[in-house]
Amino acid sequence: MTNWINLILRKDLLIAFRRSSTYITPLIFFLIVITFFPLALGPNQNLLSSLAPGIIWIAALLASLLSMETIFSDDYRDGTLDSFFISLEPTFLLVLMKVAIHWLITGLPLLIAASLASLILYLPFESFLPLLLSLVLGTSFMSLLGSLGASLSLGKSAILSAIIVLPFSIPTLLMGTAVVTSAALGQDYNGFLMIMGAMLAIGIPVISLLTVEALQLNYE
Amino acid sequence: MFPNLKVENLSCVRSETTLFENLNFEVLPGQNLEIIGSNGSGKTTLLRVILGLAKQESGKLSWLNSDNNYETFRTFNCFYQGHNLAIKNLLTVYENLYMTKVSSKLTDEKIMLSLNRVGLTRSNEFAGNLSVGQRKRISIARWLLDDYKIYFIDEPFSALDNEATSLIENLIEELNDKGSSFVITGHRPSNIVANRIDI
Repeated sequence: MTNWINLILRKDLLIAFRRSSTYITPLIFFLIVITFFPLALGPNQNLLSSLAPGIIWIAALLASLLSMETIFSDDYRDGTLDSFFISLEPTFLLVLMKVAIHWLITGLPLLIAASLASLILYLPFESFLPLLLSLVLGTSFMSLLGSLGASLSLGKSAILSAIIVLPFSIPTLLMGTAVVTSAALGQDYNGFLMIMGAMLAIGIPVISLLTVEALQLNYE
Repeated sequence: MFPNLKVENLSCVRSETTLFENLNFEVLPGQNLEIIGSNGSGKTTLLRVILGLAKQESGKLSWLNSDNNYETFRTFNCFYQGHNLAIKNLLTVYENLYMTKVSSKLTDEKIMLSLNRVGLTRSNEFAGNLSVGQRKRISIARWLLDDYKIYFIDEPFSALDNEATSLIENLIEELNDKGSSFVITGHRPSNIVANRIDI
């Protein structure tokens, strides 16, 4: 099983690296959104600083939506998904691997870009670490949700996965923004982080199993 | 000799159309089964139903386990080659083979032997740059990477020239001698030694 997991990781990461649009498109989109806000709102530091948590989180959320459709679509189209189902390996492990790969390709670059975003939007220094922590938890959860949306919209319009995922991402957005805003105001943000952690902890088994069922629906 | 797979009274309905009903057959080690039918007759669906990739309406599938008893779930690894060959365009020929899941460690030697056997010499070429026939050879090379008990191949001879067709026929014969079975589909009977079902 370890060998199988390594194979999937290596294969998908290699393909993603060679298809640069997979990781560059969400990153560019994120940076465009972040840089357009100061252009539109003006260079007022206090205004940008107060809006920074929401702007960064909205940009991260929308950026992660861009690549969700690709989580299973290529494998479905070229028949690789069939071989996963035939392989006698647990399908939920495949789902978790795909989620992890999606996060590595899209979530991790967003974390790095968020550092730049915090400078552009004058985010207070004390909010930087909470921002990163909330983004780690939030983007991971978004990748998980994205796998469910992608499996439900397999073979259909790409926008469908985004439509499915968006309503369920609102709690993540609210909690993520609350973490950063609380940190900026000097308040305790641990409670919000714990809620995000709990969402992820519950989401990992529940959403991955739902995703397996959704994938199997495509075969009926 | 115990059949590796027994199919009893298998039926399948799609969009209120019965594709096949009450199919009965066995797949014995080293023997082949050829499923013949026209377009849309349900050949591909039959393969997919057997492998659990599609739902059956009724019937029973029995798979032999290591204790020579029968289970309703598959207990051994099979090879499946559908119309889509599960080949990644952004991986090279070599990488497509290297990243195939097999039961034992894949060595460079084994991969190169498989590629030589199917006549593919450009192992560093990206699969996306190859012709349909060459991509099919990559998929055929995968046959040799592991010891599969049953190969389920959907239309193995389509889009192939005479040389490639002979290659496949010879490979099937070699693998039959090692105890592997082939369940293949096609529009017309091929030259391989096989039991045949018309659907």
